[in-house]
Amino acid sequence: MVLINLTGIQPTGFTLLADDVQPKEGENVAVSVERLLAEDSAFFDTAGGVGAVITTGTPYADLDAIAGKLAFAVIEFPAFGDGRGFSLAVRLRKDFGFKGEIRATGPVIPDQALFLLRAGFDTVDVTSERKTAFEAALSRFPGFYQSDFGGQTSIAHARHTVGHTIGHSGEGHRKAS
Amino acid sequence: MYAYDTYDHAMVNARVAEFRDQVDRRMKGELTEEEFRPLRLMNGLYLQLHAYMLRVAIPYGTLSAGQMRKLAHVARKYDKGYGHFTTRQNIQYNWPKLSETPDILQELSDVEMHAIQTSGNCIRNVTTDQFAGAAADEVADPRPYAELIRQWSTFHPEFSFLPRKFKIAITGAAEDRAAVKWHDIGLVLKQNEAGEVGFEVLAGGGMGRTPVIAKSMREFLPISDMLSYLEAMLRVYNEQGRRDNKYKARIKILVDAMGIDEYRRQVDAEWEKIRHVPIDVPEEEVARIKAFFAPPPLPVLADAATEVDELENANFVFKAWLANNTGAHKVPGHAHVTISLKPHGGIPGDATDEQMDLVADLADAYSQSEIRVSHEQNLILPHVAKSDLPALWSKLDEAGLGTPNAGLLTDIIACPGLDYCSLANTRSIPIAQTITERFDDIKRLMDIGPLKIKISGCINSCGHHHAGHIGILGVDRRGEENYQLLLGGSGAEDASKAAILGPGFNEAGIVDAVEKVVAVYLGEREDDETFLSAYRRLGPDVFKEAVYGTD
Repeated sequence: MVLINLTGIQPTGFTLLADDVQPKEGENVAVSVERLLAEDSAFFDTAGGVGAVITTGTPYADLDAIAGKLAFAVIEFPAFGDGRGFSLAVRLRKDFGFKGEIRATGPVIPDQALFLLRAGFDTVDVTSERKTAFEAALSRFPGFYQSDFGGQTSIAHARHTVGHTIGHSGEGHRKAS
Repeated sequence: MYAYDTYDHAMVNARVAEFRDQVDRRMKGELTEEEFRPLRLMNGLYLQLHAYMLRVAIPYGTLSAGQMRKLAHVARKYDKGYGHFTTRQNIQYNWPKLSETPDILQELSDVEMHAIQTSGNCIRNVTTDQFAGAAADEVADPRPYAELIRQWSTFHPEFSFLPRKFKIAITGAAEDRAAVKWHDIGLVLKQNEAGEVGFEVLAGGGMGRTPVIAKSMREFLPISDMLSYLEAMLRVYNEQGRRDNKYKARIKILVDAMGIDEYRRQVDAEWEKIRHVPIDVPEEEVARIKAFFAPPPLPVLADAATEVDELENANFVFKAWLANNTGAHKVPGHAHVTISLKPHGGIPGDATDEQMDLVADLADAYSQSEIRVSHEQNLILPHVAKSDLPALWSKLDEAGLGTPNAGLLTDIIACPGLDYCSLANTRSIPIAQTITERFDDIKRLMDIGPLKIKISGCINSCGHHHAGHIGILGVDRRGEENYQLLLGGSGAEDASKAAILGPGFNEAGIVDAVEKVVAVYLGEREDDETFLSAYRRLGPDVFKEAVYGTD
């Protein structure tokens, strides 16, 4: 697997923690939403940076209690067509003001690279043979019709802004802070 | 009409380049068919029974003469000399070569057309009233809003991988010619008491194996809130629509399961959070798009034209065409004209390259270079001076495009069926052909009056049989093609679901059954009662008796 960096963020190094393993003091770990909800503050006190592993079936309201404490989030796509992953990323940015890294894992396809970026993802874990196609897909389109939570303004806005050029800064949600 | 600027061109050209790369990788074997499938489906390229099928978008059914000429050119150069206009106001080519599809898309891009989101689990081509901007009974032209939705929904970062396909229809008139109540979302332009124009919003309609008529979400939504409200509706659906079973994945199932009130509550809660975030397009953009749809500069003309009266008195076929295929225009002295693609014995919705070229020429000569496609699979010239009608009709008639049957029994919607489609259980086209041959008598058809027959070759309902006054559904019965008869459906403002009358028939039997149903209507009708009104008054029993009664 290789990591595709969509936004130029400094990716988080972390350990994916099995449910029966305790985090080491100060260690960056990723664990399931269920476990974070169950153990809550005790877990956050021990570990270093804590990331939630969010399945696409997770109701976004479940993230309310933990989103403010997360250092990063990993959204697991069980299939590339499971579009709930996109809404979860949008919810993290929009409803919880989450500024940390959002990573996509699972069988997402290169042609989704810009959709992932625009929904608020920073990084994608992909098999190494897909790396080239993913990177090519990232520069495919010059602009889009929607403003997004990653900081790109829409073609509709660009049309009416003198001197405006469209393009993704990749820093939108962090700049806004 | 909407015209692309550099942004629109850049986007569509980028899409063509992307698709060319995908096809290249497929041809070289770098992509398996399994990997290629989702990619081609995002470009409207299906693999059917005998060949690839390319579905090209005609946004809200509006196209220019130049675009129609390009469609004719594509039919001639890359296909077998014809195309098929669909119930989503699009066109399908049945025989393109995979290796040539990128070239087709490039040629289309040159005339501001594309195949984006004509398939896949995304927001599809927004459909609307084929007479939009022309009909006398219109509150407002729905097309600027359809174009706004087209742009907003194109490559949407969040709503391009929905549980299932998603269809939105808009109408601007009280008479619903766009079947909005049969859509995932229906929008009806209305004026409120203060004289402001806004939308009634409906949700959860759909056909397929579970026919459901859409329910009202809001009586009146201000236009400026349209996109934020759509976004809230789509987000709740994207998050909660079922993904475990594709037959239960449409929004109609979600709305039924949670109830329209709960769906509305959740949508409203989300809408409250986003409606003041500036995701909607700026007002200047709405104005820019609206300007493209300014009414054409038609002169006000006398409502009566002597040329028309003379030919009407001399030629019965022209008289029938005038009565059935033309309608009241906003501007006095004008009419909108329906060009029937339903010649008796022909294939509903098909047009040859020569016919398409002719329609383009006639649009240039008589209709401000504008053409429409209706969901009933006909073509429309929206802005014709009445004094031009005789000349227009004779040119159409010479080319086999003058069938005076718009809105009558032989104006049949039929899906491609087993002649093309890999999902079909039965053929649909031959049933339509046999029915139109059986009823090949314009006086008889006009006596029968408005009657919509809709034929689907499988339960997916592409032929809209649920909404047919008479619906025909092809099913597989132990390896035999079997046709069920349904009565009483409507796709109009009085939408209703057709009900199965009884056991199915073979190919000959279904045509006989249709004839018996029509005979019952003619015998039982009161005054100028239409077929649908008579069925609603009489109920199914009298029809059942005639069709299945012992003899």
